[in-house]
Amino acid sequence: MARKAKELLDIPADDFEMVVRIVREEDIAVARQMAKQLAQGLGFSLADVTKVATAVSELARNIYRYAQTGKIMIRKRLEENGGPTIQVVAVDRGPGIEDVDLVLTRGYTTYERSLGIGLSGIRRLMDFFEVVSEVGTGTAVVVEKRRRKF
Amino acid sequence: MTFKEKVVPTIRVADCLLVPIQIDLDDKTVEQLQAQLLAEIQEQRVRAVILDVRMVEVIDSYISYTLSETAAMARLMGCRTVICGIRPPVALTLAQMGIELQGFLVARDLEHALALVWSP
Amino acid sequence: MDKSRLEMLAEELGASEQEGKLWRKLLLGAVSGTTGNNLRETLREPLLGLLEELEPTALGAKLKLVIERVPTFPTAELFPLVLELCGELRHDREQAVRKLEDMLSELATPIIRIWTEVLLVPLIGSLDTDRAQAMAERLLERTSTTRARVVVVDVTGVPTIDTAAGGFLIEMFSAVKLLGAEVILTGLKPEIAHTLVKLGVDFRMVAIARDLEDALRQAIAMLEEEKRQRRQIAWGRGSNFPGEGGEHGDI
Repeated sequence: MARKAKELLDIPADDFEMVVRIVREEDIAVARQMAKQLAQGLGFSLADVTKVATAVSELARNIYRYAQTGKIMIRKRLEENGGPTIQVVAVDRGPGIEDVDLVLTRGYTTYERSLGIGLSGIRRLMDFFEVVSEVGTGTAVVVEKRRRKF
Repeated sequence: MTFKEKVVPTIRVADCLLVPIQIDLDDKTVEQLQAQLLAEIQEQRVRAVILDVRMVEVIDSYISYTLSETAAMARLMGCRTVICGIRPPVALTLAQMGIELQGFLVARDLEHALALVWSP
Repeated sequence: MDKSRLEMLAEELGASEQEGKLWRKLLLGAVSGTTGNNLRETLREPLLGLLEELEPTALGAKLKLVIERVPTFPTAELFPLVLELCGELRHDREQAVRKLEDMLSELATPIIRIWTEVLLVPLIGSLDTDRAQAMAERLLERTSTTRARVVVVDVTGVPTIDTAAGGFLIEMFSAVKLLGAEVILTGLKPEIAHTLVKLGVDFRMVAIARDLEDALRQAIAMLEEEKRQRRQIAWGRGSNFPGEGGEHGDI
Protein backbone atom coordinates (compact mmCIF):
# COMPACT_ATOMS: atom_id res chain seq x y z
CA MET A 1 0.00 0.00 0.00
CA ALA A 2 2.68 2.48 1.06
CA ARG A 3 4.79 1.58 -1.96
CA LYS A 4 1.86 2.12 -4.26
CA ALA A 5 1.10 5.52 -2.77
CA LYS A 6 4.65 6.64 -3.43
CA GLU A 7 4.58 5.20 -6.94
CA LEU A 8 1.40 7.07 -7.81
CA LEU A 9 2.67 10.29 -6.26
CA ASP A 10 5.78 10.13 -8.41
CA ILE A 11 3.90 9.31 -11.60
CA PRO A 12 5.47 11.52 -14.31
CA ALA A 13 3.22 14.33 -15.49
CA ASP A 14 4.62 13.99 -19.02
CA ASP A 15 2.50 10.90 -19.55
CA PHE A 16 -0.65 13.01 -19.36
CA GLU A 17 -2.28 15.25 -21.92
CA MET A 18 -3.47 17.78 -19.39
CA VAL A 19 -2.00 18.73 -16.06
CA VAL A 20 -3.58 21.33 -13.82
CA ARG A 21 -1.77 22.44 -10.70
CA ILE A 22 -4.25 23.15 -7.94
CA VAL A 23 -2.97 26.12 -5.97
CA ARG A 24 -5.80 28.64 -5.86
CA GLU A 25 -9.55 28.19 -5.58
CA GLU A 26 -9.98 29.26 -9.21
CA ASP A 27 -7.94 26.25 -10.35
CA ILE A 28 -10.89 24.03 -9.45
CA ALA A 29 -12.91 25.60 -12.27
CA VAL A 30 -9.93 25.33 -14.64
CA ALA A 31 -9.53 21.60 -13.99
CA ARG A 32 -13.27 21.08 -14.44
CA GLN A 33 -13.21 22.92 -17.77
CA MET A 34 -10.24 20.90 -19.07
CA ALA A 35 -11.87 17.58 -18.23
CA LYS A 36 -15.06 18.71 -19.90
CA GLN A 37 -13.26 19.60 -23.11
CA LEU A 38 -11.44 16.28 -23.30
CA ALA A 39 -14.62 14.27 -22.68
CA GLN A 40 -16.48 16.28 -25.29
CA GLY A 41 -13.70 15.75 -27.82
CA LEU A 42 -13.83 11.99 -27.29
CA GLY A 43 -17.55 11.92 -28.08
CA PHE A 44 -18.89 11.22 -24.59
CA SER A 45 -22.62 11.79 -24.13
CA LEU A 46 -23.65 15.13 -22.64
CA ALA A 47 -24.58 13.48 -19.36
CA ASP A 48 -21.24 11.67 -19.16
CA VAL A 49 -19.34 14.89 -19.96
CA THR A 50 -21.14 16.48 -17.02
CA LYS A 51 -20.37 13.50 -14.78
CA VAL A 52 -16.65 13.63 -15.61
CA ALA A 53 -16.54 17.41 -15.09
CA THR A 54 -18.35 17.07 -11.76
CA ALA A 55 -16.02 14.31 -10.55
CA VAL A 56 -12.95 16.40 -11.45
CA SER A 57 -14.48 19.36 -9.66
CA GLU A 58 -14.81 17.25 -6.51
CA LEU A 59 -11.26 15.89 -6.81
CA ALA A 60 -9.79 19.35 -7.28
CA ARG A 61 -11.72 20.72 -4.34
CA ASN A 62 -10.54 17.88 -2.08
CA ILE A 63 -6.95 18.78 -2.95
CA TYR A 64 -7.51 22.48 -2.33
CA ARG A 65 -9.33 21.89 0.94
CA TYR A 66 -7.27 19.15 2.55
CA ALA A 67 -3.81 19.47 1.02
CA GLN A 68 -3.82 23.09 -0.25
CA THR A 69 -1.78 22.16 -3.32
CA GLY A 70 -1.64 19.24 -5.68
CA LYS A 71 -2.13 18.16 -9.27
CA ILE A 72 -4.96 16.94 -11.45
CA MET A 73 -3.70 14.94 -14.42
CA ILE A 74 -5.95 13.82 -17.24
CA ARG A 75 -5.31 11.51 -20.18
CA LYS A 76 -7.23 9.38 -22.61
CA ARG A 77 -6.66 5.68 -23.04
CA LEU A 78 -7.75 3.54 -25.94
CA GLU A 79 -9.11 0.25 -24.69
CA GLU A 80 -8.95 -2.90 -26.81
CA ASN A 81 -12.68 -3.33 -27.15
CA GLY A 82 -14.24 -0.82 -24.83
CA GLY A 83 -13.78 2.41 -26.76
CA PRO A 84 -11.88 5.42 -25.45
CA THR A 85 -11.54 5.92 -21.71
CA ILE A 86 -10.71 9.05 -19.72
CA GLN A 87 -8.37 8.61 -16.81
CA VAL A 88 -8.01 11.24 -14.13
CA VAL A 89 -5.29 11.06 -11.48
CA ALA A 90 -5.46 13.48 -8.56
CA VAL A 91 -2.35 13.60 -6.37
CA ASP A 92 -1.33 15.67 -3.39
CA ARG A 93 1.34 15.53 -0.71
CA GLY A 94 -1.09 16.53 1.97
CA PRO A 95 -1.81 14.92 5.33
CA GLY A 96 -3.19 11.70 3.80
CA ILE A 97 -6.30 9.78 4.78
CA GLU A 98 -6.12 7.56 7.84
CA ASP A 99 -9.09 5.31 7.08
CA VAL A 100 -10.02 5.30 3.41
CA ASP A 101 -13.02 2.98 3.89
CA LEU A 102 -14.46 5.33 6.49
CA VAL A 103 -14.14 8.32 4.16
CA LEU A 104 -15.98 6.42 1.47
CA THR A 105 -18.97 5.87 3.73
CA ARG A 106 -21.66 8.29 2.71
CA GLY A 107 -21.98 11.27 4.93
CA TYR A 108 -18.48 11.21 6.37
CA THR A 109 -16.55 14.47 6.28
CA THR A 110 -13.63 16.07 8.00
CA TYR A 111 -14.56 19.44 6.63
CA GLU A 112 -17.61 20.94 8.22
CA ARG A 113 -18.79 22.91 5.18
CA SER A 114 -19.15 20.00 2.84
CA LEU A 115 -21.88 17.54 2.20
CA GLY A 116 -19.42 14.73 2.90
CA ILE A 117 -20.36 12.78 -0.15
CA GLY A 118 -17.40 14.01 -2.17
CA LEU A 119 -15.44 10.79 -2.59
CA SER A 120 -18.38 8.41 -2.50
CA GLY A 121 -20.13 10.63 -5.04
CA ILE A 122 -17.15 10.44 -7.38
CA ARG A 123 -17.13 6.66 -7.07
CA ARG A 124 -20.78 6.48 -8.09
CA LEU A 125 -20.19 8.68 -11.13
CA MET A 126 -17.20 6.82 -12.56
CA ASP A 127 -16.55 3.31 -13.91
CA PHE A 128 -13.28 2.82 -12.05
CA PHE A 129 -12.24 4.31 -8.73
CA GLU A 130 -9.20 3.80 -6.52
CA VAL A 131 -7.80 5.73 -3.57
CA VAL A 132 -4.28 5.16 -2.31
CA SER A 133 -3.30 7.17 0.72
CA GLU A 134 -0.68 7.20 3.40
CA VAL A 135 -0.64 9.45 6.42
CA GLY A 136 2.26 11.87 6.12
CA THR A 137 2.96 11.03 2.47
CA GLY A 138 -0.10 12.07 0.55
CA THR A 139 -3.11 10.86 -1.37
CA ALA A 140 -3.65 9.68 -4.93
CA VAL A 141 -7.07 9.10 -6.43
CA VAL A 142 -7.38 7.37 -9.80
CA VAL A 143 -10.73 7.42 -11.61
CA GLU A 144 -11.77 6.33 -15.08
CA LYS A 145 -14.80 6.63 -17.27
CA ARG A 146 -15.20 4.86 -20.59
CA ARG A 147 -17.29 6.08 -23.47
CA ARG A 148 -20.59 4.25 -23.55
CA LYS A 149 -21.44 2.06 -26.52
CA PHE A 150 -24.75 3.80 -27.14
CA MET B 1 -27.41 46.34 -1.69
CA THR B 2 -25.81 48.11 -4.61
CA PHE B 3 -25.69 46.61 -8.05
CA LYS B 4 -21.91 46.22 -7.90
CA GLU B 5 -22.04 43.99 -4.86
CA LYS B 6 -24.28 41.47 -6.55
CA VAL B 7 -22.81 38.32 -8.08
CA VAL B 8 -26.07 37.61 -9.84
CA PRO B 9 -28.50 40.34 -10.89
CA THR B 10 -31.98 39.68 -9.49
CA ILE B 11 -35.44 40.67 -10.63
CA ARG B 12 -38.33 41.33 -8.36
CA VAL B 13 -41.62 39.85 -9.62
CA ALA B 14 -44.57 40.60 -7.36
CA ASP B 15 -43.55 39.24 -3.96
CA CYS B 16 -40.87 36.92 -5.36
CA LEU B 17 -37.21 37.40 -6.04
CA LEU B 18 -36.24 35.91 -9.35
CA VAL B 19 -32.58 34.83 -9.56
CA PRO B 20 -31.48 33.85 -13.05
CA ILE B 21 -27.99 32.40 -12.58
CA GLN B 22 -26.19 33.15 -15.83
CA ILE B 23 -22.67 32.31 -14.67
CA ASP B 24 -20.88 29.05 -14.06
CA LEU B 25 -20.92 28.63 -10.30
CA ASP B 26 -17.75 27.97 -8.39
CA ASP B 27 -17.06 27.82 -4.67
CA LYS B 28 -16.47 31.51 -4.21
CA THR B 29 -19.39 32.76 -6.29
CA VAL B 30 -21.87 30.37 -4.68
CA GLU B 31 -20.80 31.63 -1.26
CA GLN B 32 -21.18 35.22 -2.41
CA LEU B 33 -24.57 34.36 -3.86
CA GLN B 34 -25.68 33.00 -0.52
CA ALA B 35 -24.73 36.22 1.25
CA GLN B 36 -26.35 38.32 -1.46
CA LEU B 37 -29.65 36.44 -1.36
CA LEU B 38 -29.95 36.58 2.40
CA ALA B 39 -29.37 40.33 2.30
CA GLU B 40 -31.91 40.78 -0.47
CA ILE B 41 -34.57 38.66 1.23
CA GLN B 42 -34.37 40.96 4.19
CA GLU B 43 -34.14 44.19 2.24
CA GLN B 44 -36.91 43.47 -0.22
CA ARG B 45 -39.14 41.49 2.14
CA VAL B 46 -39.95 38.86 -0.48
CA ARG B 47 -41.71 35.64 0.44
CA ALA B 48 -40.04 33.46 -2.14
CA VAL B 49 -36.78 33.13 -4.01
CA ILE B 50 -36.79 31.44 -7.40
CA LEU B 51 -33.41 30.17 -8.56
CA ASP B 52 -33.27 29.65 -12.30
CA VAL B 53 -30.29 27.37 -13.05
CA ARG B 54 -30.88 26.80 -16.76
CA MET B 55 -27.42 28.13 -17.61
CA VAL B 56 -25.53 26.23 -14.92
CA GLU B 57 -23.61 23.31 -16.44
CA VAL B 58 -22.07 21.75 -13.34
CA ILE B 59 -23.56 21.44 -9.87
CA ASP B 60 -21.25 19.44 -7.63
CA SER B 61 -21.63 18.45 -3.98
CA TYR B 62 -20.33 21.71 -2.54
CA ILE B 63 -22.46 23.93 -4.77
CA SER B 64 -25.59 21.90 -4.06
CA TYR B 65 -24.77 21.87 -0.36
CA THR B 66 -24.37 25.65 -0.26
CA LEU B 67 -27.60 26.13 -2.21
CA SER B 68 -29.49 23.79 0.16
CA GLU B 69 -28.01 25.68 3.07
CA THR B 70 -29.23 28.95 1.55
CA ALA B 71 -32.73 27.46 1.19
CA ALA B 72 -32.70 26.43 4.85
CA MET B 73 -31.60 29.93 5.91
CA ALA B 74 -34.25 31.52 3.70
CA ARG B 75 -36.88 29.31 5.30
CA LEU B 76 -35.88 30.61 8.73
CA MET B 77 -36.52 34.08 7.36
CA GLY B 78 -40.01 33.03 6.25
CA CYS B 79 -39.14 32.65 2.62
CA ARG B 80 -39.72 29.71 0.26
CA THR B 81 -37.06 28.65 -2.21
CA VAL B 82 -37.82 27.19 -5.60
CA ILE B 83 -35.22 25.85 -8.00
CA CYS B 84 -36.13 25.56 -11.65
CA GLY B 85 -34.59 24.75 -15.00
CA ILE B 86 -32.10 22.10 -13.87
CA ARG B 87 -30.44 20.73 -17.01
CA PRO B 88 -31.05 17.03 -17.74
CA PRO B 89 -27.32 16.07 -17.52
CA VAL B 90 -27.02 17.93 -14.23
CA ALA B 91 -30.14 16.17 -12.89
CA LEU B 92 -28.67 12.77 -13.82
CA THR B 93 -25.33 13.63 -12.20
CA LEU B 94 -26.93 14.84 -8.96
CA ALA B 95 -29.17 11.77 -8.85
CA GLN B 96 -26.27 9.39 -9.41
CA MET B 97 -24.20 11.02 -6.67
CA GLY B 98 -27.19 10.60 -4.39
CA ILE B 99 -27.54 14.33 -3.79
CA GLU B 100 -30.98 15.57 -2.84
CA LEU B 101 -31.66 19.25 -3.09
CA GLN B 102 -33.04 19.54 0.40
CA GLY B 103 -35.22 22.46 1.25
CA PHE B 104 -36.10 23.26 -2.34
CA LEU B 105 -39.34 23.09 -4.21
CA VAL B 106 -38.50 21.86 -7.70
CA ALA B 107 -40.18 23.42 -10.72
CA ARG B 108 -40.14 22.72 -14.45
CA ASP B 109 -40.10 26.37 -15.49
CA LEU B 110 -40.90 29.85 -14.22
CA GLU B 111 -44.64 29.42 -14.63
CA HIS B 112 -44.58 26.26 -12.54
CA ALA B 113 -42.28 27.97 -10.02
CA LEU B 114 -44.72 30.84 -9.52
CA ALA B 115 -47.58 28.37 -9.14
CA LEU B 116 -45.61 26.56 -6.41
CA VAL B 117 -44.86 29.82 -4.63
CA TRP B 118 -48.44 30.99 -4.64
CA SER B 119 -50.03 27.65 -3.81
CA PRO B 120 -51.34 27.46 -0.25
CA MET C 1 8.17 -3.05 -68.09
CA ASP C 2 5.97 -1.80 -70.88
CA LYS C 3 2.37 -0.79 -70.71
CA SER C 4 0.87 -3.70 -72.63
CA ARG C 5 2.39 -6.23 -70.28
CA LEU C 6 0.97 -4.35 -67.32
CA GLU C 7 -2.42 -4.36 -69.03
CA MET C 8 -2.15 -8.10 -69.44
CA LEU C 9 -1.19 -8.58 -65.83
CA ALA C 10 -4.16 -6.45 -64.75
CA GLU C 11 -6.47 -8.60 -66.83
CA GLU C 12 -5.01 -11.75 -65.33
CA LEU C 13 -5.46 -10.43 -61.77
CA GLY C 14 -8.97 -9.10 -62.21
CA ALA C 15 -11.62 -11.73 -61.55
CA SER C 16 -14.27 -9.26 -62.69
CA GLU C 17 -14.22 -6.37 -65.11
CA GLN C 18 -14.48 -3.91 -62.23
CA GLU C 19 -11.56 -5.53 -60.42
CA GLY C 20 -9.49 -5.55 -63.60
CA LYS C 21 -10.02 -1.81 -63.99
CA LEU C 22 -8.81 -1.21 -60.45
CA TRP C 23 -5.68 -3.31 -61.00
CA ARG C 24 -4.92 -1.49 -64.25
CA LYS C 25 -5.22 1.84 -62.52
CA LEU C 26 -3.02 0.69 -59.66
CA LEU C 27 -0.30 -0.82 -61.83
CA LEU C 28 -0.14 2.05 -64.31
CA GLY C 29 -0.14 4.56 -61.47
CA ALA C 30 2.63 2.70 -59.65
CA VAL C 31 5.07 2.76 -62.53
CA SER C 32 4.06 6.18 -63.88
CA GLY C 33 7.19 7.72 -62.40
CA THR C 34 5.51 9.98 -59.84
CA THR C 35 6.89 9.91 -56.32
CA GLY C 36 6.07 10.92 -52.75
CA ASN C 37 2.68 12.41 -52.06
CA ASN C 38 1.66 12.40 -55.72
CA LEU C 39 2.26 8.68 -55.93
CA ARG C 40 0.32 8.08 -52.75
CA GLU C 41 -2.60 10.05 -54.14
CA THR C 42 -2.61 8.06 -57.41
CA LEU C 43 -2.47 4.70 -55.63
CA ARG C 44 -4.97 5.63 -52.97
CA GLU C 45 -8.19 5.34 -54.96
CA PRO C 46 -7.60 2.01 -56.74
CA LEU C 47 -6.16 0.48 -53.57
CA LEU C 48 -9.17 1.52 -51.52
CA GLY C 49 -11.40 -0.02 -54.18
CA LEU C 50 -9.45 -3.28 -54.07
CA LEU C 51 -9.56 -3.38 -50.28
CA GLU C 52 -13.33 -3.10 -50.43
CA GLU C 53 -13.67 -5.57 -53.31
CA LEU C 54 -11.40 -8.42 -52.17
CA GLU C 55 -10.89 -10.64 -49.16
CA PRO C 56 -7.65 -9.74 -47.31
CA THR C 57 -5.97 -13.07 -48.09
CA ALA C 58 -6.86 -12.91 -51.77
CA LEU C 59 -5.62 -9.34 -52.03
CA GLY C 60 -2.41 -10.28 -50.21
CA ALA C 61 -1.72 -13.17 -52.61
CA LYS C 62 -2.36 -10.98 -55.65
CA LEU C 63 -0.18 -8.14 -54.35
CA LYS C 64 2.62 -10.66 -53.76
CA LEU C 65 2.29 -11.76 -57.37
CA VAL C 66 2.47 -8.13 -58.53
CA ILE C 67 5.62 -7.47 -56.50
CA GLU C 68 7.24 -10.58 -57.97
CA ARG C 69 6.29 -9.80 -61.55
CA VAL C 70 6.83 -6.04 -61.60
CA PRO C 71 10.37 -5.25 -60.43
CA THR C 72 9.81 -1.50 -60.42
CA PHE C 73 6.74 -1.71 -58.20
CA PRO C 74 7.11 0.80 -55.27
CA THR C 75 6.60 -1.72 -52.47
CA ALA C 76 8.01 0.54 -49.77
CA GLU C 77 5.44 3.24 -50.58
CA LEU C 78 2.61 0.76 -50.81
CA PHE C 79 3.03 -0.80 -47.39
CA PRO C 80 2.27 2.23 -45.16
CA LEU C 81 -0.52 3.27 -47.52
CA VAL C 82 -2.26 -0.10 -47.16
CA LEU C 83 -2.07 0.13 -43.37
CA GLU C 84 -3.43 3.67 -43.42
CA LEU C 85 -6.35 2.71 -45.66
CA CYS C 86 -7.16 -0.32 -43.50
CA GLY C 87 -7.36 2.00 -40.51
CA GLU C 88 -9.68 4.35 -42.36
CA LEU C 89 -11.96 1.53 -43.43
CA ARG C 90 -12.13 0.17 -39.91
CA HIS C 91 -12.97 3.61 -38.57
CA ASP C 92 -15.78 4.04 -41.11
CA ARG C 93 -17.15 0.64 -40.23
CA GLU C 94 -17.06 1.39 -36.51
CA GLN C 95 -18.92 4.63 -37.12
CA ALA C 96 -21.59 2.80 -39.10
CA VAL C 97 -21.96 0.18 -36.35
CA ARG C 98 -22.26 2.90 -33.71
CA LYS C 99 -24.98 4.61 -35.69
CA LEU C 100 -26.89 1.35 -36.05
CA GLU C 101 -26.52 0.62 -32.34
CA ASP C 102 -27.84 4.08 -31.50
CA MET C 103 -30.79 3.51 -33.77
CA LEU C 104 -31.47 0.09 -32.26
CA SER C 105 -31.31 1.49 -28.76
CA GLU C 106 -33.81 4.18 -29.66
CA LEU C 107 -36.16 1.73 -31.31
CA ALA C 108 -35.93 -0.65 -28.36
CA THR C 109 -37.15 1.92 -25.82
CA PRO C 110 -39.67 4.31 -27.30
CA ILE C 111 -40.83 7.33 -25.34
CA ILE C 112 -44.48 7.93 -26.07
CA ARG C 113 -46.58 11.01 -25.38
CA ILE C 114 -49.84 9.40 -24.24
CA TRP C 115 -51.61 12.53 -23.00
CA THR C 116 -50.98 16.26 -22.93
CA GLU C 117 -47.86 16.62 -20.81
CA VAL C 118 -47.73 12.89 -19.96
CA LEU C 119 -44.94 10.64 -21.26
CA LEU C 120 -44.94 6.85 -21.22
CA VAL C 121 -41.74 4.77 -21.18
CA PRO C 122 -42.22 1.02 -21.50
CA LEU C 123 -38.93 -0.47 -20.28
CA ILE C 124 -37.86 -3.73 -21.88
CA GLY C 125 -34.93 -6.00 -21.06
CA SER C 126 -32.27 -5.69 -18.40
CA LEU C 127 -31.55 -2.37 -16.76
CA ASP C 128 -27.83 -2.53 -15.98
CA THR C 129 -26.48 -1.93 -19.46
CA ASP C 130 -25.19 0.96 -21.51
CA ARG C 131 -28.52 0.85 -23.30
CA ALA C 132 -30.38 1.59 -20.07
CA GLN C 133 -28.13 4.58 -19.37
CA ALA C 134 -28.71 5.91 -22.87
CA MET C 135 -32.45 5.47 -22.39
CA ALA C 136 -32.36 7.43 -19.12
CA GLU C 137 -30.53 10.27 -20.87
CA ARG C 138 -33.07 10.33 -23.68
CA LEU C 139 -35.98 10.28 -21.25
CA LEU C 140 -34.54 13.23 -19.33
CA GLU C 141 -34.00 15.22 -22.52
CA ARG C 142 -37.53 14.49 -23.72
CA THR C 143 -39.05 15.35 -20.36
CA SER C 144 -37.21 18.65 -20.43
CA THR C 145 -37.96 19.63 -24.03
CA THR C 146 -41.63 18.62 -23.95
CA ARG C 147 -42.07 20.11 -20.46
CA ALA C 148 -43.86 16.94 -19.43
CA ARG C 149 -45.50 17.06 -16.02
CA VAL C 150 -45.84 13.33 -15.49
CA VAL C 151 -43.65 10.42 -16.63
CA VAL C 152 -45.22 6.96 -16.51
CA VAL C 153 -42.61 4.18 -16.33
CA ASP C 154 -43.93 0.74 -17.22
CA VAL C 155 -41.65 -2.14 -16.17
CA THR C 156 -43.87 -4.98 -17.44
CA GLY C 157 -41.14 -5.91 -19.93
CA VAL C 158 -38.36 -6.09 -17.35
CA PRO C 159 -37.66 -9.71 -16.38
CA THR C 160 -36.00 -9.12 -13.00
CA ILE C 161 -34.92 -6.19 -10.90
CA ASP C 162 -31.88 -6.70 -8.69
CA THR C 163 -30.17 -4.15 -6.43
CA ALA C 164 -28.24 -2.62 -9.34
CA ALA C 165 -31.35 -2.28 -11.51
CA GLY C 166 -33.32 -0.96 -8.53
CA GLY C 167 -30.59 1.60 -7.92
CA PHE C 168 -30.67 2.60 -11.56
CA LEU C 169 -34.44 3.14 -11.42
CA ILE C 170 -34.18 5.20 -8.23
CA GLU C 171 -31.52 7.40 -9.84
CA MET C 172 -33.62 7.85 -12.95
CA PHE C 173 -36.72 8.72 -10.91
CA SER C 174 -34.80 11.24 -8.77
CA ALA C 175 -33.40 12.85 -11.91
CA VAL C 176 -36.88 13.18 -13.45
CA LYS C 177 -38.14 14.76 -10.23
CA LEU C 178 -35.24 17.24 -10.31
CA LEU C 179 -36.71 18.47 -13.58
CA GLY C 180 -39.94 19.19 -11.73
CA ALA C 181 -41.97 16.29 -13.16
CA GLU C 182 -43.80 13.52 -11.31
CA VAL C 183 -43.16 9.80 -11.80
CA ILE C 184 -45.73 7.00 -11.82
CA LEU C 185 -44.37 3.45 -11.76
CA THR C 186 -46.44 0.59 -13.07
CA GLY C 187 -46.13 -3.03 -14.20
CA LEU C 188 -44.39 -4.45 -11.12
CA LYS C 189 -44.94 -8.20 -11.17
CA PRO C 190 -45.46 -10.09 -7.87
CA GLU C 191 -42.02 -11.75 -8.08
CA ILE C 192 -40.37 -8.40 -8.57
CA ALA C 193 -42.34 -6.78 -5.76
CA HIS C 194 -41.20 -9.68 -3.58
CA THR C 195 -37.50 -9.32 -4.42
CA LEU C 196 -37.60 -5.53 -4.15
CA VAL C 197 -38.91 -5.64 -0.60
CA LYS C 198 -36.40 -8.37 0.31
CA LEU C 199 -33.59 -6.26 -1.17
CA GLY C 200 -34.76 -3.19 0.69
CA VAL C 201 -35.38 -1.15 -2.46
CA ASP C 202 -38.34 1.08 -1.85
CA PHE C 203 -39.85 3.38 -4.42
CA ARG C 204 -41.34 5.73 -1.88
CA MET C 205 -40.57 8.80 -3.95
CA VAL C 206 -42.88 7.79 -6.79
CA ALA C 207 -46.55 7.02 -7.22
CA ILE C 208 -47.36 3.37 -7.99
CA ALA C 209 -50.16 2.31 -10.30
CA ARG C 210 -51.79 -1.14 -10.68
CA ASP C 211 -51.81 -1.05 -14.45
CA LEU C 212 -51.50 1.35 -17.35
CA GLU C 213 -55.13 2.42 -17.08
CA ASP C 214 -54.72 3.25 -13.41
CA ALA C 215 -51.46 5.09 -14.23
CA LEU C 216 -53.16 7.25 -16.81
CA ARG C 217 -56.03 8.01 -14.44
CA GLN C 218 -53.57 9.07 -11.73
CA ALA C 219 -51.61 11.17 -14.21
CA ILE C 220 -54.70 13.04 -15.34
CA ALA C 221 -55.72 13.55 -11.71
CA MET C 222 -52.31 15.15 -11.09
CA LEU C 223 -52.77 17.50 -14.03
CA GLU C 224 -56.27 18.43 -12.85
CA GLU C 225 -55.05 19.09 -9.33
CA GLU C 226 -52.40 21.46 -10.62
CA LYS C 227 -54.94 23.25 -12.80
CA ARG C 228 -57.32 23.60 -9.87
CA GLN C 229 -54.58 25.09 -7.71
CA ARG C 230 -53.66 27.52 -10.43
CA ARG C 231 -57.30 28.65 -10.77
CA GLN C 232 -57.48 29.10 -7.04
CA ILE C 233 -54.38 31.30 -7.09
CA ALA C 234 -55.75 33.41 -9.93
CA TRP C 235 -59.08 33.75 -8.15
CA GLY C 236 -57.50 34.47 -4.78
CA ARG C 237 -55.26 37.16 -6.18
CA GLY C 238 -57.86 38.69 -8.46
CA SER C 239 -56.46 41.36 -10.67
CA ASN C 240 -54.59 43.03 -7.84
CA PHE C 241 -51.03 42.12 -8.54
CA PRO C 242 -49.32 43.00 -5.31
CA GLY C 243 -46.61 45.58 -5.61
CA GLU C 244 -45.30 45.27 -2.08
CA GLY C 245 -44.31 42.06 -0.38
CA GLY C 246 -44.79 41.03 3.19
CA GLU C 247 -48.49 41.77 3.47
CA HIS C 248 -50.07 38.49 2.52
CA GLY C 249 -51.04 37.12 5.85
CA ASP C 250 -53.93 35.26 4.27
CA ILE C 251 -51.73 32.67 2.61
